[in-house]
Amino acid sequence: MPLLEVEDLRVEFGLPSAPLIAVDGLDLSIEAGEVVGCVGESGSGKSVAALAVMGLTDYPGRVRARRLAFTGRDLLGLSAAQHRELLAKEIAMIFQDPLASLDPCYTVAFQLAETLRIHGSEEERGSAKLRRARALELLRQVEIPDAEARLGAYPHQLSGGMAQRVMIAMAIACNPKLLIADEPTTALDVTVQAQVLALLLRLQRERAMALLLITHDLAVVAETAQRVLVMYAGQVVEAGPVPEVFDTPRHPYTQALLAALPEHDTDRSRLKAIRGVVPGADDRPSGCLLHPRCDYAVDLCRATPPALEAGGERRSRCHFPLDAAGRPTRGWQPVRRGA
Amino acid sequence: MAATVPLVEARGLERHYALGRGLLRKQRLVRALDGVSFTIAGGETLAAVGESGCGKSTLARQVTMIERPTAGTLLIEGEDVARADRGTLDRLRPRVQMVFQNPYASLNPRKRVSALLEEPLVVNGGSDRAARRHAALEMMARVGLKPEHYRRYPHMFSGGQRQRIAVARALMLRPPLVVADEPVSALDVSIQAQVLNLLMELQDELGMAYLFISHNLQVVRHIADTVMVMYLGKAVEYGAKAAVFERPAHPYTRALLASTPTLDPRRRRERIVLRGELPSPLAPPQGCRFHTRCPYASERCRTEVPALRPLGPLQVACHRAEELS
Repeated sequence: MPLLEVEDLRVEFGLPSAPLIAVDGLDLSIEAGEVVGCVGESGSGKSVAALAVMGLTDYPGRVRARRLAFTGRDLLGLSAAQHRELLAKEIAMIFQDPLASLDPCYTVAFQLAETLRIHGSEEERGSAKLRRARALELLRQVEIPDAEARLGAYPHQLSGGMAQRVMIAMAIACNPKLLIADEPTTALDVTVQAQVLALLLRLQRERAMALLLITHDLAVVAETAQRVLVMYAGQVVEAGPVPEVFDTPRHPYTQALLAALPEHDTDRSRLKAIRGVVPGADDRPSGCLLHPRCDYAVDLCRATPPALEAGGERRSRCHFPLDAAGRPTRGWQPVRRGA
Repeated sequence: MAATVPLVEARGLERHYALGRGLLRKQRLVRALDGVSFTIAGGETLAAVGESGCGKSTLARQVTMIERPTAGTLLIEGEDVARADRGTLDRLRPRVQMVFQNPYASLNPRKRVSALLEEPLVVNGGSDRAARRHAALEMMARVGLKPEHYRRYPHMFSGGQRQRIAVARALMLRPPLVVADEPVSALDVSIQAQVLNLLMELQDELGMAYLFISHNLQVVRHIADTVMVMYLGKAVEYGAKAAVFERPAHPYTRALLASTPTLDPRRRRERIVLRGELPSPLAPPQGCRFHTRCPYASERCRTEVPALRPLGPLQVACHRAEELS
């Protein structure tokens, strides 16, 4: 049984008569101990989807799904309090800006101990001394140097990398089965990013914890995840195991995104930029959401939205999925320009 | 100007900031830029790379003449701006323009594109309204904006288009040097490629030089001619792009390259995960500033500051560069 099962998740904002659809039919299942990457540009819905799974969608937002379950327990229809009760110890989440996530008024020790006081084991809830000892142990686990001295530190006294380590310590305090990391290294310097990624992967391995890594950086996913979801404008456009999706992308968006990275050629040649911009929630085109930006778009793409292929390891949402050579299949005919 | 004079030449450039001047607190000094030397030839792109606190943005503030260097010489078109009088600075400032990281913050939300683009011409005088309008429309066409955008406000544009406006504004005075401080790091991947292409196209057409400041090695690898790697206010490695990326000599450059995630498994180097984090610029380590994190640090590195010296095609500030290469 998968750890997390999400089927047809839909998150809407705005008026019910004219909804802004932030997440549109997301399917996701995560097995225990697995690292899944979720990549997409801003506005692709990757963070909104994660917050919906956590039950943290802000008030005007509406969450619907065919199935939303964690370790087989149905989360749909639970009140926010019940949802939190169920998930508090089992799913943890860390965010992009650790200094915004920590409370500036309290010390590191207090904030770590607070987590244990509310969600910890019976002994931890009963003993402040034990909580402090556990806090120290957690700081050591996330490789904070001179951990004892850091217990009394306030968030402003920490560097970005240290603060993110403290966030990770809080997240693993109750031994969660799943850690959702939303752009955990985006605000960090390159060398510190490498340290924090290595730390996350070490903890994931040692604790057999599943990790959902949300990022805009394809290279980070390529180096860490076993499976990846590529999101565009609220939809999953491609999903599959990691080396394959990056080696032979089936969706034109994945292909274009990979080609736009400056790492392929180094000699001032022009990059293969994707024309246009990601559509906002209120100006989505008809048919396939990518068609105004897609090199292969034909009339069918403009008229009919493609469905995500059902089942299987590799799935894509395209009328003409690309073959191993990167060319569209299923009888795709180029449109003759000017004809 | 004689052809032999480089556009920008810096020798031993320093900029210090005094901090914590209070009644009870001792004044402390941040050596944000501590003896940096480089040249930028006309039409060339010099990339300054490094992590936060390395002094790359302080460097931009000196080259754009927003601040005066504390020590050293900074020659722009052959004139020393560290000691220049007001008239000289007024004459030189239009020659260096800047593009900032965040186009949501660098464009005044109350001004139309027309006003934003024409302001540099108004401030520097000399042209009538029709000529300014003509120049603005021409520049808009060059950066890929449509004529109907002329009367619009910044909030009506996406991030990529705003950065196009910022680039257009920087080019209105046809400066020989544009300082671009992290110009694509606030943009999405698909938009980043558009703006990098634009910067390269404009350089080919108009022939200006770039001082390109970035923390992103992949982007630098694509756009730069010369690369200067900085760490806590000092240049640790300086040289032609190909040499720096193919055979980096400084351990910090190697660690940076190895830390950068990549899609290409062949380019994935052995992970050199550096110990610790950047030391505080308020209290940089003695000796080589990198020694606290360097896997190869020796006794000499802890006491003696390495000078930037030639090694093959590169210049490197490392005592042990020969042994390590």
